[in-house]
Amino acid sequence: MKTYVAQRLVIALLTLLGMSMVIFTLLRLAPGDIVDILFSTAGFVSPSEKQAIMKELGIDRPYWVQYLDWLRQIVTGDLGKSYRYDQPAWQIIRPLVPVTLELAALSTLFAVLIGVPAGVVSAVRQDTTLDYVLRVFSLAGLSMPAFWLGMVIILGLVTWFAWIPPLTYVGPTEDFKLHAVQFLLPALAVGYRSSALIMRITRSSLLEVMREDYIRTAWAKGQTERVVIWRHALKNALLPVVTVIGIEFAFLIGGLVVTETVFNLPGVARFLVQAILWRDYPIVQNLVMFIAIVVILSNLLVDMLYGVLDPRVRYGG
Amino acid sequence: MSRVRFALCSTVVIVLGAVTLIAPATSQTPPTSPTPQPSQTPQASQTPQASQTPQASQTPKSGGVLNMMLREDLSQGFAIHETSTISSVWPVMPCLSNLVLFDPLKKTESVDTIIGELAEKWSWQDNYRNLVFFLRKGVKWHDGQPFTSKDVKFTFDVLREAADAPAKLRINPRKDWYANVEAIETPDTHTAVFRLKKPQPSLLLMLASGYTPVYAAHLSPANYRTTCVGTGPFKLKEWRKGEYVEFVKNPDYFVKGRPYLAGLKYFVIVERGTRQAAMQAGKLDVTFPGETTKTAAEQLKKAVPQLVVTPYSQNVTDNIIMNVKKPPFDNPKIRLAVSHAIDRRALIQAVHQGGAVVGAALAPKPWGFWGLAEKDLVGLPGYGAKPADEKALARKLMAEAGFSPEKPIKVEIVTRAIAIYVDMASFVINELKQIGIDATLKQIETAQWHATATRGDYQIGANLTGIGPDDPDANYYENYACGSPRNYSQYCNEEVMKMFDAQSQELDPKKRLALNVAIQKKLEADAARPILDWKIDFFTVWPHVKNLIPHQSIYNFGRMQEVWSDK
Repeated sequence: MKTYVAQRLVIALLTLLGMSMVIFTLLRLAPGDIVDILFSTAGFVSPSEKQAIMKELGIDRPYWVQYLDWLRQIVTGDLGKSYRYDQPAWQIIRPLVPVTLELAALSTLFAVLIGVPAGVVSAVRQDTTLDYVLRVFSLAGLSMPAFWLGMVIILGLVTWFAWIPPLTYVGPTEDFKLHAVQFLLPALAVGYRSSALIMRITRSSLLEVMREDYIRTAWAKGQTERVVIWRHALKNALLPVVTVIGIEFAFLIGGLVVTETVFNLPGVARFLVQAILWRDYPIVQNLVMFIAIVVILSNLLVDMLYGVLDPRVRYGG
Repeated sequence: MSRVRFALCSTVVIVLGAVTLIAPATSQTPPTSPTPQPSQTPQASQTPQASQTPQASQTPKSGGVLNMMLREDLSQGFAIHETSTISSVWPVMPCLSNLVLFDPLKKTESVDTIIGELAEKWSWQDNYRNLVFFLRKGVKWHDGQPFTSKDVKFTFDVLREAADAPAKLRINPRKDWYANVEAIETPDTHTAVFRLKKPQPSLLLMLASGYTPVYAAHLSPANYRTTCVGTGPFKLKEWRKGEYVEFVKNPDYFVKGRPYLAGLKYFVIVERGTRQAAMQAGKLDVTFPGETTKTAAEQLKKAVPQLVVTPYSQNVTDNIIMNVKKPPFDNPKIRLAVSHAIDRRALIQAVHQGGAVVGAALAPKPWGFWGLAEKDLVGLPGYGAKPADEKALARKLMAEAGFSPEKPIKVEIVTRAIAIYVDMASFVINELKQIGIDATLKQIETAQWHATATRGDYQIGANLTGIGPDDPDANYYENYACGSPRNYSQYCNEEVMKMFDAQSQELDPKKRLALNVAIQKKLEADAARPILDWKIDFFTVWPHVKNLIPHQSIYNFGRMQEVWSDK
């Protein structure tokens, strides 16, 4: 197992190195740079002044020099300086990470708490009214964009209660109840959509497992429904579900941009989009690398979970 | 109970629990409004060329924090001098002070409504060639350093890029405003003299704009990109990037008894729907200048009838830029045809739902001071009462140039890739199609827009222009003067330049007004930059917000020193 984990980490490092090249190159391929944006806020462009600012920011250097400089900064823990805010990138990024991680985790938790039981019920009660209701429920979740649902929630709150969630981040130690409410609503909006996918995967996976011979044997031996479903069937049906959960969580880290925008949460995704529009390379590069790291780690965790769920799965020597 | 039923019940419990948690938090009583007062404008004592203490019709209360919105985070921090956007001016004005400012309690800006800030008194000398400021004594910067004439000289030497300027701005969008300033002298620590090359009464109005605060000489201009050290009524408390900017009352403010408010908080809310919802829910007290359309204001008012909505001119225009150096718009007939073709009044209804007014190069009366009245506009290209006749005239001009709807000219119309530009451009394309100009729309991302326009890398464009003060000099020298980087059309007419200079130096107000009428007519006749409309903002506040009076420009009333809250 240890060998397997070590191998995966080495592969992860190589993946991140490749990612860094892709991020760096794609950013520079986009037309315009930070200097163009700075001038756009002033309403004109002066070519001579532009050169001076590019030199000041160091973006007039050859691309390979800038790339190696960035790699060196990552290795030494210095993430560079934000072009827009003229402050260390780490200072800008640090407060964003817990917000997005918490929102993604809560959304995934709701997705699992709603999706897995609903999927089980739907599979066990296949082709009954309850099954159809749950399938329509999941289809609605898949059809509704999370940002639209978020906006409807906001508009509903303001219309019926003349209230909306806090406009700035409230930490859990500041006011836990307000913090909970602030995250509950966007987490439910996003979690509902993710739960729809999890519910359908759970349902189809469980249906497949329930047709296996050993399940029939369990029924024949007189086991209760509870034991058959939860002890025998679900455990085996969970492998694809766990995969989907891992993918969804990883996707959410970078995909929460519209939800964070609608609910005005200062998270990674919303800030990343602003940084891209501003061509704030240090922020964009480091945030994308962070997202890549989360994706890699969540995939690794999912692979580890396979071994827990299915004893037949063993890694390494 | 089976596990299945238990799982289902758990899900229901979770959802119910969420509703239980939310409900108490939403049970706050919406803000109650006091009985609306017929007029909130106080009777201010008007002592020209001196600082003024307004006498409000209600007794202002001290305390309270005003919650306001920002549509985006600060672009270059608090460095007003390095930007040209309301997104910078509005949240930063409370921290800084000018030499002079337009009276915040008077909605119409003119030379008669200018009050002193850092300057206690001022005096024009030598036939408007020297402007002398007598500065207040005992004023301190927020870091405790004393304010002196050195700060004034520092600021304006930097702005005009004097040869011996002690510092340089990274970007200097309003350098042309000070092209006529020859030198700034400081005979003592509380006197500053602006020596001009030629008489220029407008200089005082430009100095009264929100775009003209005084920087501290003991700090580098780069400092203002990260923090704000000013002499204004509010001190910076915190700038949490991407979230909010917060100010607290400056206890050492040089106007005793001001500001009334204990603090200001500007929340960054990127999503327009969320901003509107926050305003409706009472989480915000004030809308963002220039952001509330007529439709949005109507929706807010319908949802919350006690909101106070004030329409005013933003000093922002929709206009058409045509590259006079490139075909086909190097042909004046084709440019004029474009201007004739666009039905301004129809555009105002279709694109702005009536939330704009027609006008020429300067804000029209009664919204502005210098603009043309409706009767003067009717005779100008595109402003005629009968759009069909205008289009017929346009087609005639196009025919003279060799084109028609059957034999159209194909062009690319560029615009910035944001909704307010695209909507206008789409309307214009339809108008041009009817006279033989087949335009396709190319949307250009913000990062590239000004570079494209400045370089002249386009044929025709749909543009928006905001002007600081409602003043001819600020407008003409930025947008129409030969060689100005913001003269995107690259229009250059020496005869018109002489007219600009003549009105700039004209000391008789009536003659100056007459000269500006002639200039506006000439600019429209030349189709230099056809103005399509002047945008109206529907500034909305909760009724407990007092003394926040919008002016005829969105850039000049954000100081907040007279604002108070009746909450």
